[in-house]
Amino acid sequence: MFPKSDRFWNPLLETLPREKIRELQVKKFRRIMKWAFEHSKFHHQLYKDAGMEPGDVKTLEDIARVPKVEKSMMRGIQKKDPYPYGDMLCVPLEDVTEFRQTSGTTGQPVYQPDTWQDWEWWAEAWAYILYSQGYRKSDRVFIPFGYNIFVAFWAGHYGAEKLGCEVVPGGVLNTEARLLKMQELRATATMATPTYILGMADIARKKLGIDPATDLNIQKITCAGEPGASIPSTKKRMEEAWGAKVYDHIGATEIGAWSYECEEQPGGLHVNEGLFLVQIEDVETGEIIEEPNKRGKMVITAFDRLAQPCIRFDSKDIIMWHEQECPCGRTFRMIKGGVVGRADDITKVKGVLLAPTAIEEAVRGVPELGDEYEVTVTKRGDTDDISLKVELQTEAENLKEKVLAKLNDQLRLKTNLRYNISFHPYGSLPRYDVKAKRFKDLRKDH
Amino acid sequence: MDNILDIKELGKMIDEIETAANGLIEKAQGIQAIERNAERILASTTMLKINVSDLID
Repeated sequence: MFPKSDRFWNPLLETLPREKIRELQVKKFRRIMKWAFEHSKFHHQLYKDAGMEPGDVKTLEDIARVPKVEKSMMRGIQKKDPYPYGDMLCVPLEDVTEFRQTSGTTGQPVYQPDTWQDWEWWAEAWAYILYSQGYRKSDRVFIPFGYNIFVAFWAGHYGAEKLGCEVVPGGVLNTEARLLKMQELRATATMATPTYILGMADIARKKLGIDPATDLNIQKITCAGEPGASIPSTKKRMEEAWGAKVYDHIGATEIGAWSYECEEQPGGLHVNEGLFLVQIEDVETGEIIEEPNKRGKMVITAFDRLAQPCIRFDSKDIIMWHEQECPCGRTFRMIKGGVVGRADDITKVKGVLLAPTAIEEAVRGVPELGDEYEVTVTKRGDTDDISLKVELQTEAENLKEKVLAKLNDQLRLKTNLRYNISFHPYGSLPRYDVKAKRFKDLRKDH
Repeated sequence: MDNILDIKELGKMIDEIETAANGLIEKAQGIQAIERNAERILASTTMLKINVSDLID
């Protein structure tokens, strides 16, 4: 039995009772571990060294004992034979049909091979995302992004096609041309980073005299690449600017598209537990966290990705389980507020733990400020110093003192820290098309 | 949508697609237009297995 509803891509999986999901996950984990053990020299050695074989895995507790894979290990084996992937590759090199690489934000990029079947799987994972966000065959999806060696939006494109949407690739056009094409074609949905969604709206209003909320037909926006769509103040800005629903999704090149916010916008994202196993580990003790509202590091497995498997990958993403079930009817668990930070991103400033997303939430919560900001942490003698550059909206130039007081209040509330705040002319801070770099820690020991 | 669904029957049909696609590859005598398209059918068949067959005990 499953619910009669057209809101699910696959009600058989998405509404499966919890105990059945757990059984399925153990079965699928054992299968992918066996595949890697038999086809990848790297995994074979990893599990041998730990004294484990796939047959040893009978419960979720057993899975927690399987060795983790870190990005540094992947970097270590790449550029070796079979070139350029190294011996994590589980298929003959000639079966690889897709090359992608990570953006290299945290170091040397990691190369990711996929077979055609893996690519079908990427599109399948995106079909779950887009269907849950209301995309249907009647949608015309405009993708304002120049596809390249990064996986970003390639899979969104194929996922939308799989649903039967009409997809418009807006790659080499500039922002103005993209906006005009969206308007001309009456596109109903789009996908981009939160930074670019806000940037496009700004350019539409200021350079083209177009109000995206009233002059365009965009009804749904799917964000990726940055946490903005799960940060309430940023989400609100985007929704107001475009007059559209804004949804978050989380994925990564070496993992897949593992999580999605559904139409209910419940303050969290569903983990696609039919395709992935997410475990949250206490950063200090390594204990698995099952209770809600307790932050930990995500360790993730993709059950069905074969060329270069993702098994117990230590993502460094900080997440926490949501305490609620979603009214949408999906039984997949939710994480609260998306990825709330990264284990190597959350830093101590003046002895206080600081997640850069909290600064974004404070800045974007002040309507008189522009979307852009820049944070720099330095050391003055023994003391940490944080400077924050913000832009005042042109029409708020006479309200500097009032805005400063409001921003200070927000920052104290959200981060418990004091900042040296400076105001800059609107439009003077850097603009980003893809992943923004707004947080700089210049202390020598970081 | 009929919510009385025989997933065992669906699983059987998916197996038949897989068998037919593998049969095409076997009998293609190296004709790439048959082999590669049958490989693509198999990739899509795997998605059906992930969505349906994996749920069958």
